[in-house]
Amino acid sequence: MIEVNHLTKRYGSHCAVDDISFTVDDGCIYGLLGPNGAGKSTTMNVITGYISATSGTVKINGHDIQQEPEAAKACIGYLPELPPLYTDMTVREYLLFVAELKGNKKKTERRENVEKVLGRTALQGMENRLIRNLSKGYRQRVGIAGALLGSPSVVILDEPTVGLDPAQMIEIRSLIHDLGQTHTVILSSHILSEVQTVCDRVLIIAHGKLVAQGTPEELAAKLASHGVIAATALGSREAILAALDAVPGVTNVQVTAEKGGEVSFTAASESGADLRAAISAALAQAACPVLNLTSQTMSLEDVFLQLTEGDPAAEAPEKQIEDAAAPDAAETTPEPQAEQDKKEGE
Amino acid sequence: MKAIFKRETKSYFTGMIGYVVIAVMLAFIGLYYSANCLLYGSADFSTALYSTTLVMLFVLPALTMRSFADERRNKTDQLLLTSPVSITGIVLGKYFAQLVIFAVPVAVACVMPLVLSLFGNVLIVGAYATIFAYFLLGAACIAVGTFISALTENQIIAYLSTFGILLVCYLMSGIKSLFTSGNTLAFVVFCVLLAVAAVLVGLACKNLTVGCAVFCIGAVALVLLFKLRPAWLLSGFNSALTALELFAPFTDFVGGVFSVAGIIYYLTVTGLFLFLTGQALERRRWN
Repeated sequence: MIEVNHLTKRYGSHCAVDDISFTVDDGCIYGLLGPNGAGKSTTMNVITGYISATSGTVKINGHDIQQEPEAAKACIGYLPELPPLYTDMTVREYLLFVAELKGNKKKTERRENVEKVLGRTALQGMENRLIRNLSKGYRQRVGIAGALLGSPSVVILDEPTVGLDPAQMIEIRSLIHDLGQTHTVILSSHILSEVQTVCDRVLIIAHGKLVAQGTPEELAAKLASHGVIAATALGSREAILAALDAVPGVTNVQVTAEKGGEVSFTAASESGADLRAAISAALAQAACPVLNLTSQTMSLEDVFLQLTEGDPAAEAPEKQIEDAAAPDAAETTPEPQAEQDKKEGE
Repeated sequence: MKAIFKRETKSYFTGMIGYVVIAVMLAFIGLYYSANCLLYGSADFSTALYSTTLVMLFVLPALTMRSFADERRNKTDQLLLTSPVSITGIVLGKYFAQLVIFAVPVAVACVMPLVLSLFGNVLIVGAYATIFAYFLLGAACIAVGTFISALTENQIIAYLSTFGILLVCYLMSGIKSLFTSGNTLAFVVFCVLLAVAAVLVGLACKNLTVGCAVFCIGAVALVLLFKLRPAWLLSGFNSALTALELFAPFTDFVGGVFSVAGIIYYLTVTGLFLFLTGQALERRRWN
């Protein structure tokens, strides 16, 4: 259980994290979602005690990270953005070192634990390789293996799938999914599809502020209820607009197309109520037969865009969509995946 | 702490640095030992050891430069600082690992007076007291270097700054003799130091008024001191310089004096700089 209360972190005049509060319950996978520079890594660094908050408190299983840093840190396994690996060590040496650092005193106990995490992260066969000679994907796995040592109850992963090939991404995601059975996991990502498939709950951060939280479905539903209705009706533009005007709660009516007496338009619901029936009835009364009427539901992607939109870094979310789209496309086409596997093997 | 100590010690030997430091120290100690004691036939091992203090200036910064600078650059400090280990544990683990590397040539040097005693009468106690002081001097230099390494993430800057500071300490007895001439000089130097301190305080508080106030108050105090008790100013200045003479207590041991004050001085310097290292790491988390 992690409690974050009014967390603020300032770097000089720049406010990286601005008054964030949330609680992470045991046994869930939490996703920290946000565009680049939103404050995800800073939040994670504060939670793990790497940097100190300007104000606010963080409690891990009841231990304050400032007051009892050692007790709090013992509950956490952390994989930072760049895995903190000593490149002059072999995988096994490194993991034995991390195990000892995390308080495994006995040699046999260390060996056992290291074997366990080696198996869990599918690193067998690599344990005697120098970390310097490992590929990015394997380094990431060594980092995750390190985070799992010392049997922490909370595992925090900062962008765990960045820089991996699609096959590795799927593997790491399934690993994270497995971790969720035994640990509380917090992971950060700017890839929507990843968060959507892996996480039980999502926290969306933009410009250092927590803008939304909930399950992926909840978030989508919340905004979908403010849903947009798209419709096409037969009749004159004026008659249709007048009919819509008479329906209470309809705002933001926009005509999108007008062709051969058919008028397509979109309208938003002010209160969030479903207005399909009311609009249909109103148009029928005005003798404008409805040809088509749909309520547009929003995906998490739309929610994300809507929440992080209108910001100074407006181009950032667009980039995320590309990032998000790329692995998805690759996942469905087996050929490039096989090629990349081959490269990885070399 | 034990884990960090073991890893650090091992890493000095997986890379070159450990071997280079040991080899260079041993080469010079061996050179002066052979020349002074074995060839020339002097029974005084202390003098031979004294001749190698200059080598420390070049070698020890190479040992300490990477300790924290490298961790920071490779972001491996994230692992250490997010593990259930105290900052004291991290600093001591790293420090003792460096001390072990330096202890290797010192341990070999311990054999040398024994070999010498085979050929005649040797001041064994004096020789070992000097070796002990030599080790403490090295320990203090390593503490200074560790502190500087914690301030930067560039190893070259860490090396050069440590070398520069140790060099100033090494030359301090000569520099001090330049400053015995008058009170005015001491006054000027104190004023410059005050100005630097005021600028730093002003920058730290991001407040011009605070910086100016610090300078004004300090300047008034200095002027009063200069007018009323000029001798205090000079003696204060001299004792400040004496405190920087890192290599001076060691010469006492070479001269045959077992100086307890010297031992306390080295232990204090070591403790102070290790404490400052911890503070530097702590401070970084707040920025």
